[in-house]
Amino acid sequence: MRLWRHLQFALSSAWQSFWRNAGVSLAAVLSITLILVMAGVNLLVGHAMNDVLQLLRARVSVISITVADGTPLQTVYDFQEQLRADPRVAEVQFLTKDQVLAHFQSDPTNARIVQQIEGNPLSAKLEVRVRDLADVAAVDALARQWRGADPSDPTDYQGDFINRMLALSSWLSWAGLALLAILVVISVVIVMNTIRTAVYHRRQEIEVMKLVGATEWFVRGPFVLEGVLTGVVAAGVALGLLVVSYRPFVERFRTDLFFVPLTYDPKFVGQLAQDLLLGGALLGALGSYIGVRRFVRI
Amino acid sequence: MVLTPDFESRPLISLQHVWKRYPPETIALRDVSLNIPEGDFMFLVGPSGAGKSTVVRLLIREERPTKGKIFVDGAELGRMKRRQLPYYRRKIGLVFQDFKLLPSLTVYENVAFALRVMGDPGRVIRPKTEDALDTVGLADQRDKYPRELSGGEQQRVAIARALVHAPRVIVADEPTGNLDPATAWEIMQLFLRINARGATVVMATHNREIVDLLRRRVVAIEAGRVVRDDRSGRYHEALAASSVRA
Repeated sequence: MRLWRHLQFALSSAWQSFWRNAGVSLAAVLSITLILVMAGVNLLVGHAMNDVLQLLRARVSVISITVADGTPLQTVYDFQEQLRADPRVAEVQFLTKDQVLAHFQSDPTNARIVQQIEGNPLSAKLEVRVRDLADVAAVDALARQWRGADPSDPTDYQGDFINRMLALSSWLSWAGLALLAILVVISVVIVMNTIRTAVYHRRQEIEVMKLVGATEWFVRGPFVLEGVLTGVVAAGVALGLLVVSYRPFVERFRTDLFFVPLTYDPKFVGQLAQDLLLGGALLGALGSYIGVRRFVRI
Repeated sequence: MVLTPDFESRPLISLQHVWKRYPPETIALRDVSLNIPEGDFMFLVGPSGAGKSTVVRLLIREERPTKGKIFVDGAELGRMKRRQLPYYRRKIGLVFQDFKLLPSLTVYENVAFALRVMGDPGRVIRPKTEDALDTVGLADQRDKYPRELSGGEQQRVAIARALVHAPRVIVADEPTGNLDPATAWEIMQLFLRINARGATVVMATHNREIVDLLRRRVVAIEAGRVVRDDRSGRYHEALAASSVRA
């Protein structure tokens, strides 16, 4: 009961203080909104890039081994079995010359070439899906040593591309984290200063509270709640802006940069809302806790 | 009815060889020892800068002594942990020269504030606050704001706030410093009544007339030392004695 009364007191004084210093509160809300919008864009871009990378990873983790014409079928089957037994390999599929041709023909962009070719100049293929991107190079080396591989063009593996992609994806996630950290620090400082202003306005009240025997948390509570309120309001505004602009942005991006398979993911909006509101509340609480700490020491 | 303080049993407040030094060189109190029994009414007199306010700050535990010990109701203030402080302060009532009322709260709310801080429920706060306002004679001004009151009335609100939680000790720092003589006298009558109900009163003051008229215990401090402690003293006697020794 006592706790509930303290909470009531803290809530009502946080609410009053928020509106009493409406100018400062509004400035803080807007600044944090801006920061949370940036954080939200960061999360959305991160999420989209992750999807894109996932797709690319799936693509590059498949290597296609060209089977030299004239290789006995049994040799191919043996090698296929050897690969299947390899723990690094997820799946092996043998495509005969006919299947490769049929596949080639089914692609409408190849229509003109198909009209000009005679017979079947294409080679049979072993399509190997490697479990881990890091093992692709080793599996590729194994394939190149296989005597059935076409010596002129044994596999389609592009090690350089994969290494670059791995580097890019780790760089991107580090950059995202660094940006997020900077945004967190900035918003904590903003909340801290807002709350210091509120504390300054109410220093007399704080002094009296302390003299009549208020506990530190009784004094601090309203300010921490005010910070949480600031953070949550800012998160709400930021979320609104992001939700409204997410879809048009993705569509625009897809038209302009069609080769990047960016997608609109409505499920991610729920996750984003949760992250932003929780983040806003935590940032607000942390900023005001630090801001008020020095002043409420009894 | 006036309670006779019991000087024989364990004192409610006890300062034992207390020194207070402010770095680097200022020594505010030098070896001050004082016993204040329950129910005592004690004036702390002396020139500005003598150390009266330091004693007040030590008693409300805004500061710790550099050396020596201070006991209030058995607890040693120097050893008190920060988290225990609020509970200690709830045992004492504080009155200041500048009233320290909150301008945004009404008379009633200012007095009730001391109880709200403790987390008391409304049904407890209401009768206690009304009672305290009755005691200081401000029941009919309860909805006014401090700025609408005279200095004397504001000080009475502060006194009501200091006694609303029925503390055993009232510490007052120059409570009549900002008031005219007639109002100061009214305020003193209030303190006497509170003392008669059993509260121990420690009051730092410059008000010679009042000290002389009331003939209560007078402790004179000069240059950080207790130079006189009279059970029924006078302001100027106290100072005269100190100047003879100096």
